[in-house]
Order: sequence, then structure tokens, then C-alpha cells
Amino acid sequence: MPDGALPVLDVKDLKTVFKTRGGEVHAVNDVSFSLKPGELLGVVGESGSGKSVTMMSLIGLLPSPPAEVRNGTVMFDGDDLLNVDAARMRDIRGGDIGFVFQDPMTSLNPVFTVGMQIAEPLRKHMGMNKKAARARAVELLELVGIPDAERRLDDYPHQFSGGMRQRVMIAIALACDPKVLIADEPTTALDVTIQAQILELMKELRTKLGMAVIWITHDLGVIAGIADRVIVMYGGQIVEHAPVADLFADPQHPYTQALLTTIPSVSGERSKRLTIIEGQPPILGAAPTLCPFRDRCNKRVEICERMMPQRYPVSGQHDAACFHADPGIPKEKAVGHAG
Amino acid sequence: MTIKTALMGAVASLAFAPMAFADGHEGERGRDGELRIIYWQAVSILNPYLSSGTKDIDASALVIEPLGRYDSSGNPVPYLATEIPTVANGGVSEDLTSITWTLQEGLVWSDGTPVTSRDVQFTWEYCTAEGGGCAQAAKFEGVTSVDIVDDLTVTVNFDGPTPNPYQPFMGGQSPIIQAAQFADCLGPRAPECTDANFAPIGTGPFVVTDFRVNDVVSFAANENYRVASQPAFATVVFKGGGDATAAGRAVMETGEFDYAWNMQLAPDVIAGMAEGGVGSPVSAFGALVERIEVNLTDPSPDLDEGIRSTAEAPHPFLTDPAVREAMSIAIDRELLVEIGYGQAGRPTCNLVPAPAIYASDNTGCLTQDIDRANALLDEAGYMDTDGDGVREMADGTPLSILYQTSTNAVRQDFQALIKEWWSEIGIETELRNIDAGVFFGGDPGSPDTFQRFYADVEMYANVFDGTDPQSYLGAYLCDKAPRPDTQWQGENINRFCDPAYDALWQELTSTGDLDERGRIGAALNDMLTKDSNVIIPLVDRGRVSAHANSLGGIELNVWDSELWNIAGWHRISE
Amino acid sequence: MIDAMFGTNFADGAQRIISFQSRSPVFDIIAERMPQTLWVVGMSYVVGVLIALPIGIISAYKQYSIFDQIGTLISMIGFSVPTFFTGVLLIVIFSTMVPLDSIFWLPSIYDTTHEVTDWESFKFQMRQMAMPVFVLALFNAAQISRYMRASMLDNLGQDYVRTARAKGMTEKIVVLKHVLRNSMIPVITVIALGVPQVFGGAIITEQVFKVNGLGQLLITAIQGSDIPMVMTLTFMFAILIVLFNLIADVLYGVLDPRIRYD
Ligand SMILES: Nc1ncnc2c1ncn2[C@@H]1O[C@H](COP(=O)(O)OP(=O)(O)OP(=O)(O)O)[C@@H](O)[C@H]1O
Ligand SMILES: [Mg+2]
Repeated sequence: MPDGALPVLDVKDLKTVFKTRGGEVHAVNDVSFSLKPGELLGVVGESGSGKSVTMMSLIGLLPSPPAEVRNGTVMFDGDDLLNVDAARMRDIRGGDIGFVFQDPMTSLNPVFTVGMQIAEPLRKHMGMNKKAARARAVELLELVGIPDAERRLDDYPHQFSGGMRQRVMIAIALACDPKVLIADEPTTALDVTIQAQILELMKELRTKLGMAVIWITHDLGVIAGIADRVIVMYGGQIVEHAPVADLFADPQHPYTQALLTTIPSVSGERSKRLTIIEGQPPILGAAPTLCPFRDRCNKRVEICERMMPQRYPVSGQHDAACFHADPGIPKEKAVGHAG
Repeated sequence: MTIKTALMGAVASLAFAPMAFADGHEGERGRDGELRIIYWQAVSILNPYLSSGTKDIDASALVIEPLGRYDSSGNPVPYLATEIPTVANGGVSEDLTSITWTLQEGLVWSDGTPVTSRDVQFTWEYCTAEGGGCAQAAKFEGVTSVDIVDDLTVTVNFDGPTPNPYQPFMGGQSPIIQAAQFADCLGPRAPECTDANFAPIGTGPFVVTDFRVNDVVSFAANENYRVASQPAFATVVFKGGGDATAAGRAVMETGEFDYAWNMQLAPDVIAGMAEGGVGSPVSAFGALVERIEVNLTDPSPDLDEGIRSTAEAPHPFLTDPAVREAMSIAIDRELLVEIGYGQAGRPTCNLVPAPAIYASDNTGCLTQDIDRANALLDEAGYMDTDGDGVREMADGTPLSILYQTSTNAVRQDFQALIKEWWSEIGIETELRNIDAGVFFGGDPGSPDTFQRFYADVEMYANVFDGTDPQSYLGAYLCDKAPRPDTQWQGENINRFCDPAYDALWQELTSTGDLDERGRIGAALNDMLTKDSNVIIPLVDRGRVSAHANSLGGIELNVWDSELWNIAGWHRISE
Repeated sequence: MIDAMFGTNFADGAQRIISFQSRSPVFDIIAERMPQTLWVVGMSYVVGVLIALPIGIISAYKQYSIFDQIGTLISMIGFSVPTFFTGVLLIVIFSTMVPLDSIFWLPSIYDTTHEVTDWESFKFQMRQMAMPVFVLALFNAAQISRYMRASMLDNLGQDYVRTARAKGMTEKIVVLKHVLRNSMIPVITVIALGVPQVFGGAIITEQVFKVNGLGQLLITAIQGSDIPMVMTLTFMFAILIVLFNLIADVLYGVLDPRIRYD
């Protein structure tokens, strides 16, 4: 990991709200993180914690209305992506930043051939002609492991399996050698072997192209295998951020800790194989003023009812948004789960 | 006007045709360019023998002509014939069983060939041929043969004395067709001759140049037409379709057309359109009369069925002519016309207001006179003894009547107005209206038919077919009264019975001379109206068409095709 | 022309169907009516579609905008106000209120015998078509634009639209290529299924403007109990409806790769 290099992407205080008929949904609250060139940043968090919304906010892909990015800066290549003009944004999308969406089944246009959909960004961003784009599309399909690539270019998405579509999406995202790849659960639809291949491919591209990757997943095992750093999201906030080794070795936030125990372990006793986190995810109806996890937290302390925890540094690159990580709070004061 | 003067006039206008139009619009044939006619019913065929539609008969009137037509007063005028045959001029046999027509000399068809008596004979053969389905067969009823006397003379023989022999070859429904053109179209083959049916060769002022079924017919002036200066128009566009409103608008408001047929529209709508300033409505009146019929028998529900409303029970006070006369003169007919019919109506005191020869000069009822009506009733001894505003008979029976008619907005307006006027002369009126289907339905079992007449007075309109009122007047004979043993059929709904009337009518049936027929007809009319007020005529309902203000020569005619004199139509400077 | 469609045995004069009303061959009359029906009703359909598609697209793309609201209002009017009302309204305005010599004056009665031979006669043809075409086009456009809008809205919310944007495609390409192509599938079907109505004529509008096309032919035939004519026309419409259903199905297959008939 090229420590100390300038971040390629620097997100500060990002805040995204959905205006719905039932009121506002505060999906992303003051999220800040940065990404260095060639780095792989893992993003974990339970469903609905705001991972996808955060990433889509970065490059303005949320439909507005209902979405509204209220606050924050997203520095990329010297520009604040929240304030660039539409043309610059289009150059960045698909060119400098590739995006793999979560749902492979519906993310491809059903009426165009796969070849055409891969070639589209190539022709726009790389100025390739039809032939060159087609040749590159074959290369890309081969790269993501689709057999008989040349022939399959003329197939339509419905002729591909879910996993294959996921790989086509990855091929599209990688098409223009982006500086940043944002992959939203890109391997969920894939079997373990393909998943491994894709992960391998990511590692390779990172080193070869110096591509930085944001990898959203629920699979902590995958994170452990490929990520350099990890951010943990809960209720639209980053609750913990740490280099991957530190996170697994020394999780600070009670949520992270709970999350780690949910990993099924093959060696564990049968009864302990699956643990769950008690309680419901928070309702994001208003801007949070207190720790979003406090209702489900078994280490809740009295101050949790009064103040919002900051992201307290734990060590060099490790921080956590929990009063327990704040050196100012004596740990003995912790009370048990309210139960 | 008597028949003689009418005939003389017609002969004169033919003989001096060029002179008759010497008022600044004579000139070359075709000088006035295009004439545009719109009928809101489209033309399907140009052969009146295969269609009885007015639109088809009217359109074919531009091309094919009969031996004689009826003019706008209902008088016969010669067309292809030299004169109208009568008993007086020897054209009609003394025994009224034959009529002999003479064609004008030098007549040619539009293709240049001469018109002969064979064409006349052929026309009869064509319409009476087996399996031809002739739509005008009624015109030839009673004709036993049509004999060629010579090239220009033809005799029509009837199976008995025919006082009105002017049925075959008279009027738009019975024009002469060319034997040569239709020779192969007899009987069942008639419909197959599309070319002939769509473009008959005729003697009329125009020839067909293009025919689009149910859409538009184009005509051009007939180069062989017998009057050199006619027609004034070089071409005619005869468009069909739409509705009366649109047709009226096209003539009176937008000026796209010159003539529109049959404006069946509310009076205020027509008046509104006429304000457009480019065209005007024109009306003509036939014998369709809206009238009040008085029941001379007692419709009281207290009477037994079979007695009620029959001659056995005379009406207590409507049998008194004074009461009927008072009721008639209490009515303001001008106001009724204005409210109900506008251009399409005129007040009348006659049951047979037309044709002219039958029309009595009976105008006594035209001015409303409430005072005289009251005086009449006073004299007759009907006084309001109990002060309730209603007069009573000597025995105390109030002059209270039931007035019924069919359900129809105009008729209900009339009822309300007339009830008001009658109340001013102390007659109390109860109103009733009955669905037209029932009222005119003739169901012997229904108490609500107009024939059953379970009311004191009732109002409706009636008319006779053609120009001869003989059978129409015959409806008021004694034995024509509806009664139980006729299953309540018959049109003498008043139960009128006057031996003098019956005798006079018998005389009519054996009179051939038109003038004489006119005199008798008028006398019969007077017996029913002026003399007895058994029938109280209200409005003579006519027909309205519309023409551009720049179109001259129009004389609307209800006795023949509206386009009967189109040869003489011309452009005038407004 | 019709003979060719149904085989030439009729044109040979062999077994011709004869109209009861006019006693002439039914197909001759139909052929006579074709030009004005195609000119007026056909043109109004084309114009209607051409108006409807952009309105539908813009309304959907700018959902709830002023444009969308106005578009919705106009299509509600076009859809719910009967053509005999709009037709007469136009006649009152353009044929009676506008003076005859004005260039805005339009004829209220269609001249079926008019032939286009030169520029002047073409201009006249356009003028006499203007009102009936407008009236019918408004009605057609109202209907089709609603379909277009609904279909566009459906597709604008799809994930592949986000993918296209994420690839850096311009809004024009996103909307007019990716979304439109998908949205057109159901709309094309609706349009194709509407074509037989063109041949059926527009009975009311034809009546109002005296176009006297196939619609008027059918109605006069029904009124006159002209059974051969009614049967021929309805049979023809039936064939056209089946034919265009088939065309719609085939088009569906052509437009949507997910549906292929092998
Ligand atoms: N269009 C929208 N309108 C309203 N709320 C939305 C919308 N899209 C997302 N949200 C809300 O934003 C929150 C975050 O959603 P997001 O999709 O980012 O979750 P996630 O972390 O990606 O979950 P998953 O792991 O299931 O993908 C959720 O509470 C969701 O309900
Ligand atoms: Mg997500």
C-alpha cells in the first residue's frame, strides 16, 4: 500500500437525504473517507446502512428528486464532484470512475447487445472506432472470464446467466481503465471459483494500472482477503474505519464487534455457528443526534443518551465512532445491555 | 289562379322563354361558371326508378325530365310535352280513361339523338317490367298500355275512369329515360346497368360528368339543351353528406355552397345563420297542416264503452257551431307560427291550403278576436253563472274540455298557449300528451289513439300525397268515422257526418276537369273549416331550403323536385 | 388496388358484389373512397403519432413539470371532448368567423373531387385537410401520448438507465436511445393496432367535414341496409385487424430481443 500518497478520492462530510412522501430519509450522514491510488477500500455494513447511496452520491447517480445531496465535498482530480458541470461529470463517469452495480439482473439494457453496451463507453471516452471498440470488448469479456467472448458479444443480456451479467457489468466498469472502481457487491451472484477469479483480477489490475477500488460487500471473508482498509457503516454513518488487519484483530465499535461474531465459523461449535445482532436497524427519519447503534448496543453508557460520539482515533489509521474508543471516557463506566 | 291561366302562363313562359328572362340575366349557356349544391343526404343513384330517395330524385332532375311537372303552386306545366292534356283541349278522353301526350318537336337527348314516343313507351315498360323492382311503380298503377300514335304522340290508357291522369310521366318521380341506353336493363337486369344508372342520358339542362356514390355528383351543361341560353351554369357540384346544420352553415355563413336542401332546423337556428349575410332561407308551403280536430261525440268516461265517443252520444256543447267558432277565433295563429315554425310555417284557415286550385280564400280566422269569441258564446247562452271564470251550459255543465296531442316540444308549447286563450273566453282546458308511438299507433285496444279520440279536442298534422286531395277529403265521409265495429280505424275522427258533404265528394270523384275539381275541393274544405269549424286549422307547415344571395331564379317547390327549374337558375349581382 | 389485395377475380367482372343502395360494384365504391380516407384519416394518424411521441417523451422525462401538466391537460381535452364538438368549433372559428378572403379561412366541406396537380392545388388540398386532420390528430395524439408517457416513466426508473448514466452517456443518448428503445416496444404495438381504424375511417369527423370516406360509406350502408356493402367493409376491417395484430406481434419480436419466434 503506497502509504502517504495523495488521495485520489477524498470525501468530506457527505450528507444525502431522500425526500419521500412519508418524510425525509437521512440515508447518509456526514460520511468522510479517502481513497489512495491503488488502494482497495472495503465497505461493510448491514443492509440499508447507506453503502450504495453513499457511493452513488459521489458521482451524482441518485435520481433527484427524491435524492438530495445536502452537504459535503468529493474531491477527485482537483475537482469537487458535487459541483462540477454536467459535461465534466460525464467524462469522469465511466472514464475515470467505473461503477459496478449491485443488481446484475436489471442493470443491463435488455434491448441492446452486450457488445454494444461494452463498446459504448469505449467509443465515448477513448474515442475508439467501432472495430477497435469491438476488439477491446472481446478482450474485456475474456478478462472477466466469459468463454467464447467473440461470439457472445452479439448476444443480448437475457441470454446470459446472472453471474455472467455481473461479469459483463464489471467489464463495462473496467472498460476505460478507470482510476477508481466502485464495486457494489460485485461478487454476490457469483460462485466461489468465479468470485476468486474476480478477486484475483482486481488485485492484478490494482497493481498493473494503479487502480483504486471501493469494494462494498457483506462478506467479511472477502474483505479479509483483499482489502487494504475497511470502513464499517451503520445507520448512514461510518462507525469504524481501520486497516484490515487492525479491524479483525482489534475491533473498537460494538457494532463491528458484533458483526465479526456473526461470521459463521466452520470450526466453531454447532450452537455457536450463527450469531445474530438483536434488535432492528435504526429508522433514518431525522438527522441523527445520538449514536445510531445505541438501542441495540450491549455496551451502552449513560453518555450515549446525551451526545453523539465523534470518530475517535484509536491508532494511526484506525478510528471508531464510539465513546469507548474515546480515551477520555473510563471504560469501567460501561453498563450492560439494557435488555 | 285557375288552371287555365296557369296553363297559359306556362305556355307563354315556354314560348317566350328567351324573353321571359330578359331582365338582365340572359346570355350564353354556361356563362355563370359553377353552381354548388349541398344535400345533407348523399346521392346513391341517378335513376329515380331504382330509388325513392328525394336526394336521388332531385339529383336526377338535372338530367332526366318528365313530360310535365308541377310548378310551385301545384299546377301542372308541360316540360317535354307541348301542353298539358285536358278534357277541354281533347288530350284527356271524355270518359277519363286515357290521356294523350304530344312531345315537343325537335327535342334531342344529350347525345344528340331525337326523343321519340318510343322513349316514353319504353319508360313505362322499364318501370313495369317483371322483376325490376321499380321504386315508382305506383305512378303507373292502373295503366293498361302506352300506345305510340306517331313519333311524337303517345297515349296512356287506364283500366277505368281516372279523374287525375297526371300520374305517369309527370313530376320528378317519373321522368323519361332513353330507350337506347336502357334497352338491356329491363327487369332483373335493371340494377346491373351501373353506367346507365350512374349517368343516364337525358334531356335536362345538365349531363353527369362524374358520380361518386353517396358522396358527390359533378354535372356539366348539356350542349343539346332545348333552350339556347340555358343553363346559366357551366358545371354543377352536387355534394352530399353531413347534417342540415352544416349544410345551412355552408350556404348562409361560409358561402362555400350556393344551395342547401331541406333545412330541418329550429327557427332561431336558421335565423341566426341568415345573419351571416351570404345566404337566405327560402320556404315553400304544401298541404301539411297542423290542426285542432273537434270531437262531435261525447268522450265522457261516465259513458259505457261502445257508446263513449261514438255517434250515439253527441257532444254536449261541441256540437254547437258557435262554440267551435269561438274556439277558432280565440287563437293567435301568427304567434304560434313564430314560436313553433318560423320560416317553415304560415298561419292558415284551410284544411287544404294548396295546391292553389284547391285553396279556398278563407282568411277569417287569421286575426285573433277574443271579444267576438266572447260575444259569440254570450249570444249562444253560455254564461259564467257561478263566477268561477268558466262558462256553463244552461243545465250547469261547465265548458270544460280535454285537449290532447302527441308528445312533442312544439305541440306542448301550442297547447299551453291555446289553453290560455281559451281560458280568456271562459273555456276550461285540461291538457294531455301521449307518446307519438301510441297516439299514432292505431292499436284498436288502446284508449289513447288519435282515432279513439277519448278527448274533446286533439291536435296533430296531416297531409295528402301528391297534388290531388280527393282521397284526403274523402276521409270525412260519414262512414269513415272510427267506431267499435271498424276496430276504431278511420280518419273521420270528428265523427263528422253531413249528407251534403258526402254528395259533393261523390261529385268530385267523377269530375275530370281540373278547374271544376278545384272548385269542389275548395267547397269541401270550407264545409269542414270555415262553415262548421269542425276542423280548426292552425299552421301550414312548409319546407325551408337555403340559397346564396347571389343565386337567382329559385322558386321552391313542394309538389315536384326542388330543382325543377334549375335550368333557369343564374348568378345575380347582390 | 383492393382487388389486388384480395385476388383479381373481382376485377375481372366475374362475380362482383353489388351494393343494394347504388346497384354498383362494392369494390369500385370502396376504391373511390380510399384516397380521401387515406389522405385525411391516414394523415391525421401520422400527424397524431408524430405529435404524440415527443409530447409523451418530454412529459415523462420532465414529469410533473409545467410542460407535463399542460400536456396532460391537452390530452385529457383531446381524449374527452368529442370530435363532433371540436370539429364544429373549428368550423365556427375558421370557416365562419374568419373572413372568406383571409389566408386563415379554411373550407368546412371537403371537396373529394379535388385533384392535386400543381402547387396551388396542393395548397388547397392542405387547407381543406387542415381542420379534419387537426381534429383527428388531436384525438389520436391524446391517446398515444399517454401511452408513450407511461411507458417512458416505466423505463426511466429502470436500473439500466443508471448504468447508462454511469457509463458517462449524455442525457440525450440515455433518454432517446436507451430508454426510448425500450419504451417504444409497447407503444409501437398500440400504434400498429390502431392502423385498422384508419381504414375504418372516422365516422363522425368524416360526417362533420363531409369527407365522405370509408367511415361515411359504412354508416350510410348501415342506414340503408346495404348488406353487401356492410359485409364487405366489415370483412375487410376484420382482415385488417387480424393483419395488424399479426404485424404488431411480429414488430414486438423485432423490437424486443427477449421475444423471438424461431
Ligand atoms: N430512492 C430512495 N428513496 C427513499 N429512500 C431510499 C431510496 N434509496 C435508498 N433509500 C434508503 O437509503 C437507505 C440506504 O440504502 P442503501 O441502498 O444505501 O443501503 P445499502 O447499505 O446499500 O444496503 P444493501 O446492503 O442492502 O445494498 C435505506 O434506508 C434505504 O431505505
Ligand atoms: Mg446496496
